[in-house]
Amino acid sequence: MSSICHPIPLSDLGNLVAVIGDFLSLSLFSLGGGNTLLAEYHHLSVDKYCWLSNSQFADLYALAEAAPGPSSMIVGLLGMGAAWREGPSWALLSGVAAELAILLPSTLVMVLAALSWHRFQHSPWRIAFERGMGPITLGILFAVGLKILKTSDRGPLAYGVSVLVCVLMLRTKISPLWFMAVAGVLGGLGWINR
Amino acid sequence: MAEIPSRRALFFGMLQVALSSFGGGLSAWSQRIVVEQRRWMTNEEFISGLTVARLFPGPNQINMAVYIGARFHGLAGALLALAGMLLLPFSLLLLLGLGYFYLHMTVAVDRVLAGVVAAAAGMALSMGFKILDDYWRDAVALGFALAVFLALTVFHLRLIPVVLVAGPLAMAWYWPRGAAVGEP
Repeated sequence: MSSICHPIPLSDLGNLVAVIGDFLSLSLFSLGGGNTLLAEYHHLSVDKYCWLSNSQFADLYALAEAAPGPSSMIVGLLGMGAAWREGPSWALLSGVAAELAILLPSTLVMVLAALSWHRFQHSPWRIAFERGMGPITLGILFAVGLKILKTSDRGPLAYGVSVLVCVLMLRTKISPLWFMAVAGVLGGLGWINR
Repeated sequence: MAEIPSRRALFFGMLQVALSSFGGGLSAWSQRIVVEQRRWMTNEEFISGLTVARLFPGPNQINMAVYIGARFHGLAGALLALAGMLLLPFSLLLLLGLGYFYLHMTVAVDRVLAGVVAAAAGMALSMGFKILDDYWRDAVALGFALAVFLALTVFHLRLIPVVLVAGPLAMAWYWPRGAAVGEP
């Protein structure tokens, strides 16, 4: 990250269009359910536009995971962070705009897919796409996991909690809300620092 | 297979799915309400919709809502289903966001979040391991995954160019040959 990183004002129309363009173009690259874009979201909001600090990004990721509904709605929170300096009403507007931008292209493609699925269901393109994108999604998800881990954790105890939660996620069916609640208590007691 | 839901019913049905799933389990609730309660689709139709939703870009559950809406009322149906599914959770999330941006500088809130964030990072870490088993026996798949992982983490390349290069290569490798075409 460069040492000088100034957040751009989103009330400037040109900036707003550029930001919306970034989310629009990422939309069609959300393979495997949306989480594959998390590292790109981090790049945009922390490194490229400096809307958020590392720990704020980690906070918003956790918030989106804990809240009801699809966790991909994190884009709305990032949009809010982008315009927070310009006041809460701008932040809300920006949050809605960011979410619409990330959903619009994939939604349009999905509508086309739903209406013409019977025609390409057995097409070799469909089969190659499905088989080929799987391993790529796998690689991206590991990269995303590592990125979120490095963004979120400071110190051995925090890493220990993360690894333990990862193992429990894979081995048990306990709701992740419990893990976040317990870890939140540990944090409140001052055991997990950052 | 039963009656076609009206546009109004699509919106409220998805609203119901979103409300029911506030404790989690969005996918299960969607199936329960669409197939068992409202009988808009048979279970087979729902499962094949889920296949399409997973295949195409976009969050799976959101894609599923779009699929259901589009099937009955085209683009308008898709947008109504999407709005029904997202209206409440997204509004709630924005409210949480407002709370966060007002309060996150508070020491107590920051300390709690430091813990919550470590747990959430564990969830993020588990995503890759969750699907690793599907590819464990396929050395080429693991090779593609490793190359993509290294490109993103060690070489700091951006996602879009990596997918644009690795995607077509992987598709060419996995192109169905001979008798593979025509399988369900």
